[in-house]
Amino acid sequence: MSTLLLVDFNVLKPDLGLIFWTVIIFLALYFILGRLAWEPIQKALRRRDEEIQTSIDEAKRAREEMQAQADENQRLLIEAREERTRIIGEAEKQSKEMISAAKNEAREAAQKVASDAKRDIDNMRKAAMVDLKKEVGTMAIEIAEKILQKDLKSDANQEAFVRELVRDLN
Amino acid sequence: MTLTVRLVFLLTFCFGFGTVDAQSVNDHGSAADHHSPEIECGSHDEYDPAGVILHHIADANEFHVVGDFTFPLPVILYAPDHGFTFGLSSMFHHGQTAVDGYVMNHGRINRLTDAPADLMEGHHVVECIAHSSTEIDGKTRDVYSALIDGERYTLDAPSVGDGGLLGGGITSFYDLSITKNVFTMLLAAVLLILLWWRVARGYKKNAGKAPSGIQSLMEPFFVFLRDEITIPMIGEKHYERFQPFIMTIFFFVLFANLLGLVPIFPGSANVTGNLAVTMALAVIAAIVAYVHGNRHYWEHTLWMPGVPALIKVFILTPVEILGLVIKPFSLMVRLFANITAGHIIILSLISLIFIFGNNGESVIGAGAGAVVAVAFTLFMNCIELLVAFVQAFIFAILSASYIGAAVEDAHHHDEAGHHGEEKVAEGGVMGGAVTGMHTAAD
Repeated sequence: MSTLLLVDFNVLKPDLGLIFWTVIIFLALYFILGRLAWEPIQKALRRRDEEIQTSIDEAKRAREEMQAQADENQRLLIEAREERTRIIGEAEKQSKEMISAAKNEAREAAQKVASDAKRDIDNMRKAAMVDLKKEVGTMAIEIAEKILQKDLKSDANQEAFVRELVRDLN
Repeated sequence: MTLTVRLVFLLTFCFGFGTVDAQSVNDHGSAADHHSPEIECGSHDEYDPAGVILHHIADANEFHVVGDFTFPLPVILYAPDHGFTFGLSSMFHHGQTAVDGYVMNHGRINRLTDAPADLMEGHHVVECIAHSSTEIDGKTRDVYSALIDGERYTLDAPSVGDGGLLGGGITSFYDLSITKNVFTMLLAAVLLILLWWRVARGYKKNAGKAPSGIQSLMEPFFVFLRDEITIPMIGEKHYERFQPFIMTIFFFVLFANLLGLVPIFPGSANVTGNLAVTMALAVIAAIVAYVHGNRHYWEHTLWMPGVPALIKVFILTPVEILGLVIKPFSLMVRLFANITAGHIIILSLISLIFIFGNNGESVIGAGAGAVVAVAFTLFMNCIELLVAFVQAFIFAILSASYIGAAVEDAHHHDEAGHHGEEKVAEGGVMGGAVTGMHTAAD
């Protein structure tokens, strides 16, 4: 039972050989694992973290871009609608203007035509009158000649006849 | 990977059983020759639980597998007056042969003292190893002696680094053998390298892809240790330099703990329950912390600014210097005590079977003991599994906190006194938390 004594509790006695091997094995393990595993894993994890961060940022940016695009589209749509309304309104206005202009023009043209015609008619009437007067004058002279040749043998006849003629003329 | 592992195991077992067979033949031969003197020296009829337990938790120069089979381990011995002796532990035939004056005593190699020169060379037959207790300097000590050719020679244990405090000290020789514990550490190192090499290969193979297989199994450990230990303890700025160290220390301790829980051959060694191992690890952790200690740390440790000089000289600086030693000492003792306690409890429970069975005389007692022992051992094993992880975690987190304190930058130097108080308070809280965890795990 003497083995119960603490002196034989030899896990408490730090064996020099065991200390030596622990140090050697631990340091070797540290360097091998550091080279083989820890450094590459750390690097890979860091790279992955960065990649994830970049992807998230990228996604956020893309979403923002899409939102901006959608806003832009909306804006363009509204603008287009406004433009359409404006264009339609303008076209209506223009067509009205055109119609009224055409109407005016037509009216003017018609008036012009009418006034021209009137003037022509007047001119022609005047010319006709002149011609008629000339014709009547010529006929009066011819008649006068004939009368003169036939009835101007008596003075009294002559005078009465002239008078009658003059009265008729008026 | 599986192919490599299978090959390694196949080779190990072929090699192991090959030598074991040869050895066991020798054993039987010599056992027949030396049957009578062994009885004279007193055989162990009584079951001695304390002896069995202490033998099982101790380091050994041979690896007991089953029955009479032991796995021989390389032996490297150095005596200043003799030089190196190399060989396999099977050459000692479990203590029945003395080689170059070395004898195997209960699995450990001892050396003859005061023996004639011809006994210190070559092979000699050892009749038996006797044990007695004597009073030396008022303390009772175990003395072993070997009986060779009718003469008794006192045996010297290997040199140990306790400075003679625990009955050890420097003796006539040094044992640098690949012992059971060293073998288990090598096994843990090989397993760790295979495991993490494969994990690291996954990162190369799956670059830019999601992790798969063993890589996704082990990655949470890496990330957990990084996010829960290194970053909070050491800080964002410095943690990357120490992550490899913390990872290595955590996994080395964890694998040594777990291998110690495996009750059959490649496991069962009480590695982290040996003070030498925990001392080496704790001292390495302390050296890493103190070597990286910056000006700010050493100033606050040795000459705390903002404190009267008298207080510094007589109280603060001595206490801080003691702290420099106590930190690794607590690391060393905590891990050692937890793991050794676990092993002792489990072995005690198993011993119940033999105690209740009255050394094989009472089958009913043995059966009852077996039921009780199996139930309690199962329970203890679950706790020990938890302790294996918890102690590895505590060792890693405390190492990280020592490193973190050493590399911490001076934040607000103008109110240095206040800063110091804060640090102490922090330490107190930390210590409390860890002690709580530790007690719960026990």
